[in-house]
Amino acid sequence: METTSLSTSWNQLSRFGSQTAWEMLEKEESSRRITTSCADLDKVVGGGFRCNQVTEVGGVAGIGKTQLGIQLAVNVQIPADCGGLEGKAVYIDTEGSFMLERVLQIAQACVEDLHSSHRKMTPADFLDNIFYFRVCSYAEQTAVINYLETFVADHKDVKVVIIDSIAFHFRYHFDDMPLRTRLLGEIALKLMKLAQKFSLAVVLTNQVINKFADGSFHLTLALGDSWSHACTERIILFWKGSERYAYIDKSPSVRSASVSYCVTERGIRNSSSNCKLVKMM
Amino acid sequence: MGSLECLEEKYPIIDSEFRQFCASHNILSVEDFLMQDLYALNIVAEQRSNPEKLKLGITQILDVMNNQHQPWLNGQELLENALLNKQSLSVGCDRINALLQGGLRKGRLTELVGPSSSGKTQICFQAASYAATHGIANVMFIDTGNSFSPKRIAQFVNKMSNHVIDQESLRRIMNKIVCHSVYDILSLLDILHQLEINLKHQNDFQVMMLIVDSLSSLITPVLGADGAHGHALLVQVGFMLKKIAYEHNIAVLVTNHMVASEGGSLKPALGERWKSIPHVRLHLSRDSSNNTSWMSILGHPSVATGVAVEFEMMCS
Repeated sequence: METTSLSTSWNQLSRFGSQTAWEMLEKEESSRRITTSCADLDKVVGGGFRCNQVTEVGGVAGIGKTQLGIQLAVNVQIPADCGGLEGKAVYIDTEGSFMLERVLQIAQACVEDLHSSHRKMTPADFLDNIFYFRVCSYAEQTAVINYLETFVADHKDVKVVIIDSIAFHFRYHFDDMPLRTRLLGEIALKLMKLAQKFSLAVVLTNQVINKFADGSFHLTLALGDSWSHACTERIILFWKGSERYAYIDKSPSVRSASVSYCVTERGIRNSSSNCKLVKMM
Repeated sequence: MGSLECLEEKYPIIDSEFRQFCASHNILSVEDFLMQDLYALNIVAEQRSNPEKLKLGITQILDVMNNQHQPWLNGQELLENALLNKQSLSVGCDRINALLQGGLRKGRLTELVGPSSSGKTQICFQAASYAATHGIANVMFIDTGNSFSPKRIAQFVNKMSNHVIDQESLRRIMNKIVCHSVYDILSLLDILHQLEINLKHQNDFQVMMLIVDSLSSLITPVLGADGAHGHALLVQVGFMLKKIAYEHNIAVLVTNHMVASEGGSLKPALGERWKSIPHVRLHLSRDSSNNTSWMSILGHPSVATGVAVEFEMMCS
């Protein structure tokens, strides 16, 4: 009785898209996550990359940000009967670092791992389901992000949007810093809305910069302090000796932790002694 | 206050004849009436065929207006109201409660400011979970960063109840927390407006806590864009939150992020113009290496600025 009268009151607010915590919990428990193909990494982020949120992945050049992006663009397509989302991917490339050969390799490895599936997917199918946008200026980037809502509304099976990297065009040739802050703030909210409205995962990569503070230089993510609030979850990739590590820097739901991973020919995998790679100089 | 026409139902003296008289002096709404020279209006009314009736109408409208303002209260009544309706809601952490003299006070707007990943959202979750577990009314959570984590809420609820709770009570508690996703400042105003209407007209609809996490991210895209427009919206939201908090006895908690200032140090994103709006301003910082956090007072009606407390964030 009590709950019914309550829910009618909430219903009047529901045109704003309200949900109770319990409804959200049930939804979250039944929703699938995008695996990274690295079981250790999946574990610390709570079972894979989550839909309905914006995840930022930061790290130095060559640490594997793009590799992770490609891996997610492939893995989002894993068929539902193999535990995947059977979705499609939007890949927004701002740096020109998208490597087709690499996508093919990773897709091939993914197909081999899926041999149990009765519905056979080919690497070409994987390529078919990645929508690629090349972006060459910050104006183009803002435009394509504005367009995403229309695009995804027409392609409802898109389950991941990868922007590699969010920072590139905003780092240089920008004199009007307040304008930059406003544009980025707007972009952040648009991506948040997209993630929630279509329950898809938004993954952004970001570069690191050397910042001078408290009398010394240290590494921090690009785009400033205001941007650091723009994501739901943030993962920092870094080197520790010759091993790659991922660190959960910010998350509302899982605790901070770090875990090693490695980039193999087949894609992102668990770190094991035989796949420690020599750090590229 | 609306047009004179809608007053007729309640006060038959304000009939079409009276309204016609008013209209001939460009008076169409109650506001127009306020702007008129009433002395002159009375004189004009006397020259008409039915001066008594017109004068009665004028008196009637003045009477209606006089009853519009809030009644005055003396200090004793204010204190009684505060003791009766403006209790503090615990945030589920003894040290923070002690710092805040009991917790988040109903009727007050509290602001939480801190750098990224300093634990602002976690404090919001904790306060929401404690209120839902131990209180009767609802908690409204406005989320702008898709960071509302029902799983984390469930963890907090489990930790905060005095006994092991079954699935049914967990469902009942978690149904008291309602989350809205909002991605622009106008939608926020819209939702606050709707909330106000619901609170006013439905007695079974009760809210004890309202959380906006984060307010600053909604403001960033409009701040400084075209002159004072963004600031005006910010001040409007601030006053609306305070009004809702006071009139409906709700503890309001908002978060504000931090940005670099010229000197390289961090400052709150919502700056000088916002500073004077919240009743309580709290600064949050965290040392991620040993999981200790600090909360310090930036502004509080009855606690000295700068008082700080160290606490540990509840883990899973």
